Amino acid sequence: MSLLHATWLFPPDGPGGRLFLWGDTWRVASPVEPEREAPAHPLALSADEVADWLDDNELWSEALRPARATLTLPSRSQAGRGRRSGDDSWSGLPLQAGEPIPKQLQWWPWQVEGWALDPAGAADWLSGLPLAAGHPEMADELRWWSHLQRWALSLIARGRWLPMIEDGRARWQPLLNREGDRRRLEELAMGIPQVATCALAAGLEGDPALACRRPGSGRLRVASLLAALLDGQLRAGFQSAPEGLDPLLLAWQKGLGKGDGSLRLDEEELERLTIATHHWREAVAGRVAPARACLELFTPPEGQELWELSFSLQAEADPSLRLPAAAAWDAGDRTLQLGEVAVPQPSELLLEGLGRALSVFEPIERGLDSATPEGMQLTPAEAFVLVRTAAAQLRDVGVGVVLPGSLSGGLASRLGLAVTAELPERSRGFTLGESLVWSWEFMIGGVTLNLRELERLQTKRSPLVQHRGVWIELRPSDLRNAERFCNADPGLSLDDALRLTASEGDTFHRLPVHAFTAGPRLQAVLEQYHQQKAPDPLPAPPGFSGQLRPYQERGLGWLAFLHRFDQGACLADDMGLGKTIQLLAFLQHLKAEEELKRPVLLVAPTSVLTNWKREAAAFTPDLGVREHYGPRRAASEAALKKALKGVDLVLTSYGLLQRDSELLESIDWQGLVIDEAQAIKNPQAKQSMAARDLARAGNGGGRGSRASRGSRFRIALTGTPVENRVGELWALMDFLNPMVLGDEAFFHQRYRLPIERYGDMASLRDLKARVGPFILRRLKTDKSIISDLPEKVELQEWVGLSPEQRKLYTRTVEESLDTIARAPLGQKHGQVLALLTKLKQVCNHPALALGESSDAALTGNGSGEFAARSAKLQRLEEILEEVIEAGDRALLFTQFAEWGHLLKAHLQRRWRQEVPFLYGNTSKGERQAMVDRFQEDPRGPQLFLLSLKAGGVGLNLTRASHVFHIDRWWNPAVENQATDRAYRIGQQNRVLVHKFITSSSVEERIDRMIREKSRLAEEIVGSGEEWLGGLDMGQLRDLVALGDADA
Amino acid sequence: MTNTPIGTQLGDEGLAQQPWWVEQWMELIQAYRFKKRLERAWEYARSGNVTSIRFEGRRVHARVQGSDEEPYKVKLWLDVLSDEDWGYVLDALSQKARWSAQLLAGLMPADIERAFAASGKRLFPFKLQEVRSECSCPDKANPCKHISAVFYLMGERFSEDPFVLFQLRGRTRAQLLGDLAKRRRRALARQARQARASGQEPAATEAAPPAVHAAITDPSRWWRYGAALDPDLVVITPALEGDTGLDAAGPLPLAEEPRFPEANRLFLEHIRAHGSHMASLALAQAMGNGQEQAGGNGSA
Repeated sequence: MSLLHATWLFPPDGPGGRLFLWGDTWRVASPVEPEREAPAHPLALSADEVADWLDDNELWSEALRPARATLTLPSRSQAGRGRRSGDDSWSGLPLQAGEPIPKQLQWWPWQVEGWALDPAGAADWLSGLPLAAGHPEMADELRWWSHLQRWALSLIARGRWLPMIEDGRARWQPLLNREGDRRRLEELAMGIPQVATCALAAGLEGDPALACRRPGSGRLRVASLLAALLDGQLRAGFQSAPEGLDPLLLAWQKGLGKGDGSLRLDEEELERLTIATHHWREAVAGRVAPARACLELFTPPEGQELWELSFSLQAEADPSLRLPAAAAWDAGDRTLQLGEVAVPQPSELLLEGLGRALSVFEPIERGLDSATPEGMQLTPAEAFVLVRTAAAQLRDVGVGVVLPGSLSGGLASRLGLAVTAELPERSRGFTLGESLVWSWEFMIGGVTLNLRELERLQTKRSPLVQHRGVWIELRPSDLRNAERFCNADPGLSLDDALRLTASEGDTFHRLPVHAFTAGPRLQAVLEQYHQQKAPDPLPAPPGFSGQLRPYQERGLGWLAFLHRFDQGACLADDMGLGKTIQLLAFLQHLKAEEELKRPVLLVAPTSVLTNWKREAAAFTPDLGVREHYGPRRAASEAALKKALKGVDLVLTSYGLLQRDSELLESIDWQGLVIDEAQAIKNPQAKQSMAARDLARAGNGGGRGSRASRGSRFRIALTGTPVENRVGELWALMDFLNPMVLGDEAFFHQRYRLPIERYGDMASLRDLKARVGPFILRRLKTDKSIISDLPEKVELQEWVGLSPEQRKLYTRTVEESLDTIARAPLGQKHGQVLALLTKLKQVCNHPALALGESSDAALTGNGSGEFAARSAKLQRLEEILEEVIEAGDRALLFTQFAEWGHLLKAHLQRRWRQEVPFLYGNTSKGERQAMVDRFQEDPRGPQLFLLSLKAGGVGLNLTRASHVFHIDRWWNPAVENQATDRAYRIGQQNRVLVHKFITSSSVEERIDRMIREKSRLAEEIVGSGEEWLGGLDMGQLRDLVALGDADA
Repeated sequence: MTNTPIGTQLGDEGLAQQPWWVEQWMELIQAYRFKKRLERAWEYARSGNVTSIRFEGRRVHARVQGSDEEPYKVKLWLDVLSDEDWGYVLDALSQKARWSAQLLAGLMPADIERAFAASGKRLFPFKLQEVRSECSCPDKANPCKHISAVFYLMGERFSEDPFVLFQLRGRTRAQLLGDLAKRRRRALARQARQARASGQEPAATEAAPPAVHAAITDPSRWWRYGAALDPDLVVITPALEGDTGLDAAGPLPLAEEPRFPEANRLFLEHIRAHGSHMASLALAQAMGNGQEQAGGNGSA
């Protein structure tokens, strides 16, 4: 995979420049020795390849022009090799994004070719890039650029610019005096990936000189990039209107239009225009500087009236970094160090800022009467003007203002509530509407007060008043809100408590809640609800035959906790952490507590139903489990009810949830569980609607409903990071707890649009706070989990057979057994072997067994159709989806080369990424290239197919954290050897080993033999398949015949 | 005090609102006795006969188109203050930080003459006679109408840059600011000595070594950018009424050529119209951005 980069090409002098698009990719390259010129970047894309990339991604622009540049990149050096020892000759390779950083690092210039855009074209092009979540083939800095352009758009929309003369040229210049814009400059300057500006300043053809660009202190550089984008856009659309202008303005106007901004003026006139425009701008905004003048207000000392205002210099990068004015006066025109920030000419900077402050806030004049003023005193009235209005105006002209915390205008300085609450004595605390025992006080600026005190303060007629030693600002609306609140005298429910403690700044009856103190019992409930502490563990219930790891006990405790609240829960643990086991333990827990009175419906993709049945039988033998699946399922309400006698858990598929919806709705389910819950992500899809309807039907009428129908618990299981998939959250939460996110239209406007389109973090945080209590997701990499997990986790993936597979399997068995029975002894062994091979192929995919070529099998059909023919492939895809989503890497082993080819073609089409396949015919060179690429390329393939024989030994593939055994081999040692490609020294993650077993088929028998280490296995499995010839017909039939699917 | 618009309009009805120092200059001219000559000079100035005014060092060079084919050359200058006088002025100027602050912010302090009073000199000439002048015209009278025409226009030129007056008195902007900074430091040192004498130790400010760029110590910063879009940029909003940079900057502080009386206004109006057109384009573009993306996710 290649990665697109964007770097600014600064011209050798003056403003402007161009945006240079280039790319790199992973390939084997030998270290380059530098010569007189900067070497060509060995991993870079050619100009044509970059053009193709842009074309493929619909990002080609007619404004693109070929260009070259010399880029300074961190490089891996290798000391001179051998020949001339003692010679410190150097050779190396440029690093790529995402590569681990080696200890020995150098910065070297590399020549790269690509395409460039002038500023106007760049602005246009950048506006078309996504602002949020990354495109896998776009480097980070492209998002940085798109954010910068978004800012330029915002400045244009707000008119924050002035036409100017800069370095003798007409330019459109951004005005960055506003508080928000200054902060943004700092943020973008702090965050800039250096690659965005790592080009050597040069002319159009690039400069091959052997020189490096130093990483810059970002502020000025970023401001100049912003200026270039803004200038490009404003200039592009500007038409001159020459009527009535004198020659000076005429020349300026002309210079502001298309072109490089050069002015047709003699030196004198240019000088005059420059000075005049400079002063014009000066009154609005200072220059871009690392620090600014700052006014800090202090409350009067005890018993005094006058407020202190002190002058200081404040670092733009960090407003908390300030130096008193004295230091600035002392430094004069020397550079002053403010933390890490160097401030040149500090005293002029301070004076200029104070001059601007004076034009906004007149009282300062008094304070500037001395030569080196360090501060002044303000009357209460002046202090109020400063707090109320002037502070904002001062910040707008680029002067920092620091107010006392209680007056800073933040939420804390507004009148609000301090709440104390506890669960009522008798309460178990488990219904949401329940009223709490509570008391409250008003609170402002961190101090509490009651209504009478508030009224008394109000009579003081001074807007700034002191209460309990703290200065606060009272607004007329505050008293009104307070009175209204007292009159309403509202109650506080548990629901309110959960909401108010979920996020900062939530209001209760219009008043912000500044403090919430919960009594010990309520606190325990809140903490668990907000997952501030790990859920209380619940040990495996009686009747559960198996062990729960500690984190699984916590998961069980969490499910039980939310269940008591009647809240839906989504268990979203990472793959391999045992969601199935936790859910089964939860059901067993209900059963053991005698709370499981009615059947629970579990909906899962067809491909995992088999797995559920197996696991339930193994871990919770007490649970009555029944499948509602297949042609023999109950077809009428009566039949179904009859069938459900004594049944605790009913398994069905999403397809049937839809098709049999009426039938399923007729049953009074105690709970509804959806496995692989991403299946309901699309709110409009029928299966999603069916699941949500059924979840809600608990309280509804419906046919045959009983009066005392209880509500239904809702649990969703998924291995995907649901909380990060904003678009899919709504349907899930609508299933679990419909009130949490409101209706779909609201959700779309409030969350989805801002987050997905613009990557709005504030909305995302709010959303996460809302859904957080209902989603439990633990990762294999969590510290608390790691200690619980062995380094290698083996998972049995039970799968069934598709109808086509089933038919083919049965036919193959019937036909072959006859033939084998009649075969002469000498051929029997071969024929048995052939039969087993054929059956294993059927279990993989009919296309493999039928010998279809990959062209025939895959062309014409959608990849979905190909997958639908094999239950195993379907399941494999589902798991791989999670692997790819998580950014993990996997090895897939098969014993059939033909299957490898088919699978390679299918997977490549499915995920649009390269899937290498290493097998017997792979040449030694190719083999090494595949392995290197998988291990080293930062954006290398995530899936690696290997044949068991060719790939099972000798390779080091520790980058994979998943190993898939798609089909079984007789000898576990061979499988283990293959597994050890990933699970070996150098592996830093837990390795998940997925072993696919087609239930009731020959694969299951093989698995059983291996696991039970039966005598048969020990004696005869050995290392090969020699023993097969010795089987009698009865044994053979037992081995291969398809078991009863319902057994 | 607000940002007084310092542009001026020379119209028939006289002068619009002016910064005080321009007004003071105009009063100087109006006090001249020969009203007839002033009227003619006023006509000259309005009809654009003054083709150029240049500040060169301590002198003003102007060209005025008179009855002759070639424009007449006019030179104007003020008495330059001696270094000693400047010493007094600077001493006085450095007494109040406000004077430097306002000058740096592009404003002429209203009480600037007080600083000059220390030397017994003035910044502004008191009488027109203090303005030295020469004209290449044959007219024997001084000031002649050409010189007077230049007078009229010079006032506005002061508003383009308050430091011009200082320059005519013998100190450039850089010299002035440098001298002031030096005096501030001296004053501070004096204070420190006094503080030490009275037993107080001043807080020492130590210079830290220059910081190494973060990308050197953490090379992954060469590539990495993890920040999400600034929430304030999620929705792009237009300017409030009267809240653009152009609104804040006000009229251009450019002396107008009388031949093009509306030039400044026309220029700014055109820029303003362009700005609001571009603003609406930017808003449309900002709203369109990401549309495809969100739509794509929806159908997936």
